[in-house]
Formats: sequence, structure tokens, C-alpha cells
Amino acid sequence: MKYILLMSATKAGVDGYDAWSKKDVAAHMTVLRGITNQLTESGEFVATQGLAQPGEAKVVRGEKNGLPITDGIFPESKEFLLGYWIVDVANLERAYAIAGRISSAPGPGGVPTNMPIEVRQFATSVQPDGQ
Amino acid sequence: MKYMLMMNTMRTGRGVPEWPKKDLQAHIAFMIALNQELHERGELVSAEGLSFPDQARLVRAGKDGTPMTDGVFPESKEFLAGFWIIDVESPERAYVIGARISAAPGPGGSPLNIPIEVRPVMSGPPPEMLQ
Repeated sequence: MKYILLMSATKAGVDGYDAWSKKDVAAHMTVLRGITNQLTESGEFVATQGLAQPGEAKVVRGEKNGLPITDGIFPESKEFLLGYWIVDVANLERAYAIAGRISSAPGPGGVPTNMPIEVRQFATSVQPDGQ
Repeated sequence: MKYMLMMNTMRTGRGVPEWPKKDLQAHIAFMIALNQELHERGELVSAEGLSFPDQARLVRAGKDGTPMTDGVFPESKEFLAGFWIIDVESPERAYVIGARISAAPGPGGSPLNIPIEVRPVMSGPPPEMLQ
């Protein structure tokens, strides 16, 4: 079963992350890369991506003539997706266990961030042409 | 350049499952045709739909690293309904595709004009952040 593990934060949280020391960011990234490597070895890894900063985010709507209208103003409360992992695992509990490991990746001073990770199953029934 | 196009929904509001079957079929046919077109142009990296919010869980690591799950979300929370990752020439092209998705047909065939969040995808952490 495929699940997506979503790591999100508000803009305030992202600003906090920008203030982390280089060493803390490096330690955080090392743990996340280690998790990706282990998932690759166990055959559970599908994909992972990090997204660019909220400052580069735009919301697009279609206008009546089909042209895009863009807006870059978001409410303070908005959660921005920071990155995600797609895993293909035997059961839901395994998806939770992986999310727990991501949540415990080290933050400032090596203390686990304990960030909430949203776990969602893929709606496989509406997949177009096997994409 | 890679972009992620995100379709978000609230837990409340017009539920897609309650749409008339004909409207749902038209919506899905639109999405399949769009994905096929993006695939033929070499712009589609991946597209996935996610299961409904009632199956979503937040996972945090407990002190001993075990996952703690929670399924209670604030009413204001936006849920990711689905996403596209595209590889396009310019942000403008990403916005055009975002507008096409935004204008997908809803109940009665009227364009939904739902907001689509467009974010650049990072290729990876900067080298100085790696140990």
C-alpha cells in the first residue's frame, strides 16, 4: 500500500528553521538521508522531495478566459508543505513507524523535532493510465 | 524546473463524493486527459490523488521513538487532495497548467476555479548542509 508522509509548517515555523545553525541542519539532513537509504534497501522507498520556501509559493486560479491568476499572499495560519516521502509498505503501522522516525529527526542542539507528520493513503482507484 | 501543483480542500464544504456520478465522471475524464497531455509533452513527472481526510493521521515520535498517532484536526485545516509534479520551462508554464487544473469541471460542468498552490521543488539540500 502506498502512503505519503507530509511534513508541513506555518511560515513562522519555516522562519525558525532558517535560524538553525549549519551544524544542526546538517545533522538533521544526515538522519533524513539515512532514513531514505534504509527505505531504499528495504524496497519501501518510492519518492521524496523537498519544496522551496513559502516566499516562492503562488496560488493559481483559472480565470474565465482560462488564463492563470496568481496570488502570493497567504494567511499566517496556512501550513506550507516542506517536503514529503512516498513509501510502499506492507501495512499502515509500518507507515506510522516511518513517520515516527522522521518526526524524531534531530533539530537544534540535536534534540528531536517531534514535528507532526501527516500520513495519507493514496486514492489508487482514480489513477489515470497507471501513472 | 520542477514544480509541485497542490490541490487542497477543507474537511467541510461541498464533498466530492456527493457529486452526481455524471459530474464526477466528467471531472475524472478531464484530469485523465490533462495528465495524458502533460505526459505526451514530457512535462508530467507524477500525479497522485490522496484518500479522504477521515483516513488522515498525524504522527509524532514519542520519547522512545514509538509513533503516536492523532486523527483530530482543526476545522480550518487544509487537506491535500492531490498533487502533480511537473517539469516545465518556466514558472509561467507552471501557472498555466495550474489554471487548467483550477478550471476542471465540477457539479453541473461549471469550472471549479479552486485554488492550486504552485511551489518550486528543490533538487536537494545545498552541499554545505551535508556532512
